[in-house]
Amino acid sequence: MSAASPATRPPAQPGRSIWAVIRPSRALLNIILVASAVFWLVPTIGLAIISLRPESLFQQSGWWTALAAPSQLTLSNYKTLFGQGLVTGGVLDSLVTSLEITVPATLLVTIISSLTAYSLVFGRWRGRSAVFLVIVGLLVVPIQVALIPVVQEYRAFGSLTGFNPFGTIPGVVIFHVAFGLPFGIFLMYNFYSGIPKEMLEAGRIDGAGEWQLFRRVALPLGLPAAASLMIFQFIWVWNDLLVALIFLGSNPHITLTIFLFDQTRTLAANYWIISTGAMISIFIPLIVFFSFQRYFVRGVLAGAVK
Amino acid sequence: MSAANIETGPRVSGPKAARVSGAGNPGGGWRDHLGSLAFLAPGAIFLLAITVYPLVATARNSFYDATATNYVGLGNYKEIFSTSSILVTFRNNVIWVLVFPFLVTFIGLVYGVLSERIRWSTAFKTIIFMPIVFSATASALVWRTIFDLDPHIGIVNAAIQTASDWVNPPGLYPVDVSSGKTVAGLAATGVSAGPQDSLESSSTVTAGNSIELGLIGVSPATLQLTGSQTAVAPTQSPGAVTGLVWRDFSTSNPTERGQVLPDELGFAGLKLTLLRSDGSSAGTAVTDAHGDFSFGGVSSGDYKVQIDSSNFSSGFTGIFWLGTQSLTPTSSLNQTAQALLSVPLVDISMIIAYLWIWAGFAMVVIGAGLASLDREVLEAARMDGAGEWQTFRRMTMPMLAPVLIVVIVTMLINVLKIFDIILNMAPGSSQGDANTLALAMYNFGFTGGLGNWGLASALAVILFILVIPAIVLNLRRIRG
Amino acid sequence: MASVTFDHVVKRYTSDLTVVKDFNVEVADKEFMVLVGPSGCGKSTALRMLAGLESISEGQIRIGDRVVNDIAAKDRDIAMVFQSYALYPHMSVYDNMAFPLQMQHMKKAEIDKRVKSASTSLGLGNFLDRKPRNLSGGQRQRVALGRAIVRNPQVFLLDEPLSNLDAKLRGQTRIELQKLHRDLGTTFIYVTHDQVEAMTMGDRIAIMNAGILQQVGTPGDIYDHPANIFVAGFVGTPTMNFVAATVQDGVAKASGFQVKLPKAVSAGKGTLGFRPEAVTDRVPDPDSAMEMKVDFVERLGSDQFLYGKVGGDAVTARIDPRVKVEPGDNIKLGLDTRTLHFFDSETELALI
Repeated sequence: MSAASPATRPPAQPGRSIWAVIRPSRALLNIILVASAVFWLVPTIGLAIISLRPESLFQQSGWWTALAAPSQLTLSNYKTLFGQGLVTGGVLDSLVTSLEITVPATLLVTIISSLTAYSLVFGRWRGRSAVFLVIVGLLVVPIQVALIPVVQEYRAFGSLTGFNPFGTIPGVVIFHVAFGLPFGIFLMYNFYSGIPKEMLEAGRIDGAGEWQLFRRVALPLGLPAAASLMIFQFIWVWNDLLVALIFLGSNPHITLTIFLFDQTRTLAANYWIISTGAMISIFIPLIVFFSFQRYFVRGVLAGAVK
Repeated sequence: MSAANIETGPRVSGPKAARVSGAGNPGGGWRDHLGSLAFLAPGAIFLLAITVYPLVATARNSFYDATATNYVGLGNYKEIFSTSSILVTFRNNVIWVLVFPFLVTFIGLVYGVLSERIRWSTAFKTIIFMPIVFSATASALVWRTIFDLDPHIGIVNAAIQTASDWVNPPGLYPVDVSSGKTVAGLAATGVSAGPQDSLESSSTVTAGNSIELGLIGVSPATLQLTGSQTAVAPTQSPGAVTGLVWRDFSTSNPTERGQVLPDELGFAGLKLTLLRSDGSSAGTAVTDAHGDFSFGGVSSGDYKVQIDSSNFSSGFTGIFWLGTQSLTPTSSLNQTAQALLSVPLVDISMIIAYLWIWAGFAMVVIGAGLASLDREVLEAARMDGAGEWQTFRRMTMPMLAPVLIVVIVTMLINVLKIFDIILNMAPGSSQGDANTLALAMYNFGFTGGLGNWGLASALAVILFILVIPAIVLNLRRIRG
Repeated sequence: MASVTFDHVVKRYTSDLTVVKDFNVEVADKEFMVLVGPSGCGKSTALRMLAGLESISEGQIRIGDRVVNDIAAKDRDIAMVFQSYALYPHMSVYDNMAFPLQMQHMKKAEIDKRVKSASTSLGLGNFLDRKPRNLSGGQRQRVALGRAIVRNPQVFLLDEPLSNLDAKLRGQTRIELQKLHRDLGTTFIYVTHDQVEAMTMGDRIAIMNAGILQQVGTPGDIYDHPANIFVAGFVGTPTMNFVAATVQDGVAKASGFQVKLPKAVSAGKGTLGFRPEAVTDRVPDPDSAMEMKVDFVERLGSDQFLYGKVGGDAVTARIDPRVKVEPGDNIKLGLDTRTLHFFDSETELALI
C-alpha cells in the first residue's frame, strides 16, 4: 500500500510554461490584463478622438461621447493645420525642422559610435579599458551639467570663427550627438565584443588596414546593432524638448515638441491644435516603432540588461 | 625519428605574435596603433568638448555669479538651501524618487509575470510598451486633458461625476460655491437663509393661506432648462398651504422687489418642505412649471415653507488633480515646512502619467529576465515540493533580483532628470509646486531675461552629485 | 514498496509528433534500471513523465500500487538529479539541500540533522556555506545528489548525471553512484546515452529508439541475446559485425564465406551478426573459414583489432595480440557459431 496520501491536486501542467495553470484564475488573469490594456489605450485613443472633433464641441462634451456618436468625427483640424503649408512656426515646418535635426544626429551618432567602439574592441593600444570605463561613467551624466558651458563655448567659437552654433540647427545636432555617444558606444561595444577576434586577425594577416577592416568586416557585421541604435536614437532625439528649446534660441524654425510646448503657453485653451499637433508628432515615431519593433526593443534591452 | 623542438618551433612573424598577445601589444606596428586610435578622434572631440569639459566648467560656474564673471564662493549653494521655492524642488525630486522607481518596477513585474501566461502576450506587451515612443511632451498633454478639472473635458472627473450624480444627484438650481456664490445670496423677497444651505420663508403661514417667496441670482437660461414658465399668483385653498416661488426680477422693472410682475418667471421643480414651528416636517411638495405649490391636509398652526438645500447642491464639480492641494496635512505649517513636507496632488497625477509611459519598459526588461531564468532550476523546485507562490517567492524573485535592480536604478536616474512632463502637464498655477531640480535649472538658467547662470550651475552640480551613486553602480557592474 | 511501472505509456505532442510510443517497463523495488538510447529516443521524456514534469498522453504510470498520472510532482515522493544539476544559484549548499525539507514543513532540528549527515557522506561538509558558482563541477553534482538524498524518496531519478563531468571524474562518479545505490537501497532509474554506463551500472537495461522500447533485460541478456539489429549494434565496442547473407538448407551464405547456422531458420535473405570477439585466428571448421584482407590494425596491448574486408563485406575481428598481422595481409579467420546471430531482413528481429 502506498505510504503517502494520494493527494489529488489539480494536475501540474508541465511542459514549456513554468507555471501550473489552474482553470478558474485564467479568467481573472484575462480580466486584469484586458482592463490594463484598455486603460493603456484610453489616453492615446482619447487624444486621437479629440483631434478629430471640431473645437466647438470640446467644451461642451467629453471626447468619449464620440464613441456613441461617430458622426462627430471630422478631419477638419488636420486640414486646417496642414493647410497652413510650410509657414514658419507651423506644424509642417516644425516637422521638417525636427527631421533636419533628428536625421543627421542619428546618422552621426551611429557612425561615430561604431568607429569608437571598433577602436575600443579591436584596437591594440593601451588604456582601452580605461577609456571604456569613462564612457560607461558618462552614460548617466545629466545634460544639465553641460547646457550653460556649451552655450559659452558656442559663443567663444562664434567670436573665433564668425559662426556661432547657438540658435542654429547644427548647434542642436552637435549637442545631441555628444550626448548620444555614450549609449551608442556602449551598445556597439557590446556587440563588437561578440565578434570573434579571429575574423579581423585573419584580415590583418592578409594585409588589410584598420579602415578597411572596419568598413568591410566590422561595420557589416554590426548592422543589427547599428539598426537598433539608429531607431533608439531617432526616437530619442525626435522627442526631445529641452535641448532644442535651449539651443534653437530665438530661431523662428522650431521642432514639433517645441510647437506643442508653445501651445500650452498661449492663453487660449486651443486643444484642437494641441491634440492634432500631438497626433502628428506621435505619428512618425509610431511608424518607426511598428516597422522596427524588434530592433527597438533590442536597443532598450541592451541599455538596461547587460 | 627527429625530435621536433617544441620550444622554438618555426619562427613566428609579426601579426601572429599580435594574435597571441591580445590587448596592449607592444610588438604591433606603429601604423596599426595609429589606425584604430584615429577612429577615436571624432568621438573624443565631441565628448571632450560637449561632455567632459562642460562638467568641469559647470562646477566652476557654480561658484560664480549670474553672468559667470564674478566669484561668489558658496553663495549660490547658500541661496539654494535657503529659498523655499527651490527647496520645493528637492521635495518633489524626493517624492518622485521614493515613489516612482519602485512602483514602475512593481507594475512591470506584475505585467511581465502575468503576460507570460496568455496567448495574446505580444499584443499586450506592445500596447503597454507603446507610450515610450511618444514624446514626454505629447504624453504630458494627453494626460493633462485626462485630468482636466472640467468634467466635460477630463475623463477622470467625468467618471467620478457620473458615479457621484447617481448617488448624490445635483439639484435643479446648483449654486457654484467654489466661485464665491452662496445659497443665501438667492434670497430676495420673503425669504431668508435656512439651516444647512436651505432657504426658508421669512414669515409664517397658516392653512388656507398662501405665501410668496421671491428669489434672485438665477439666470433665465437656467430657468428655461428647468421648464419654468411665467409666474402665476397662487390661489388659496382651505386646509392647504399654497404659494409661489418666483424669480423676483423683471427686465422691464429691474429695481422693483416684492410684486409678482407679468414678465417674471416662476421656479419649476423646486423641492419644498412644510415646517412646523418645532422644525419638524409636515409634508413635502414640488413647484409646478409656474412656480406654484400646494401642501394639502394641513392642520392648524403656524408653518414655514422651506426650500430644500438639495435644490442648490451643485453635485460634483471636479477635483483639481493638477492642483497643489497637498495629500499631507501641511496647511498649518510655516512656509519652509510646507515646502518640504507637502505632497501636491499634481505630483501624483504626473507620476501616474509617467507610469503610463514607462511601465512598458520595466515590463519588457523584466520579461526578458524572466525568459532567461533556468527552467530546470524551477522544475527542481517543483519536484522539491515548492508550490506556485513559494516558487515565485523563493526562486523566481531572488533570481530576478539583478534585473529588478537594473530597472529600479535606470528609472531612478530617469526620474531625477525629469523635465518635459512637469513643464507641459502642470498648469501655470501649479508649476511652482511641481518644480524639480532639472526644471529649476532650466528656469534659472534660461528664462527670465539673461538668467542666473551661477545658480543654475549650482543646481546642475547638485543634480550631478545625486547621480554619482548610479555611475559607481554601473562601473561596478561592468567591471565585476 | 517502490516499484515503478510504465503501463502502455504514450507521449504525444501533436498528432504527428509522438515521442514515446507504447512504453511498457516494470522496475522492481530497489532495482537500478537504466534507460538508454541515442539522442531523441524518448528516454528523457519517459523519465520526466515519471517525475511529473510532463503530462502523460496515454497509459498509466504507477509507483508501487499508486497510479500517479494525476498526482503533482511534489506529491509523488520522487527525487530527481538533473543533467545540469539545477542547483538554486542564490542559495548556499546547505540551503539547497535544506530547501526540499523546508517545503515539507520539517522541523529545523530534523532538517539540520539530515542535511549534515548527507553532506558528510558526500564529502561536502566544508562547503555548506558556499554558493553553487563557487563550486567545481564534481562538487555541484554531489550537492544535486545530496538534495535528492535528504528527501529519502521512494524513487531516485537521474538524468544523464555524468555527461557534464570530465572523463576521469566520470569513472570515479560511476562507482560512487553504484555504491550510493547499494547503501540507500532505493529504486534508481537512470537515463543515459552512453552504453558503457548502461552496461556497467544497471541491474537491468531498457533500450529505446525513436520512442519505442527495443528490449529490456540484464546487461548480459542484452549483450548475448539482442532482440533486434538496433540493440545488437548499440551495445558492444567495437560494434557487432553485420553481414548480409542468404539462408538455404541451414547454411547462411555471405559474399565472402558461409557458415552453418546453429538453429533452423526459414530460407531467405537476412543479416548475419557476430561480435568481433567471435572471430578467431584459429579455424576450427574449414567450411566456414573467412579470408580477410586486412586494411587496418589496432593494437591495444591486451587486444588486437583487425579491420578489413571479407568478400565484399567490412568485418572487424578481435584476435590474440601475439599474432603478427600487417595492413595488406590476407589472413584466414574462423567464426564461433555459438554466439552467432541472424536477423530477419524485414523485421530486423533476431531469429537466433
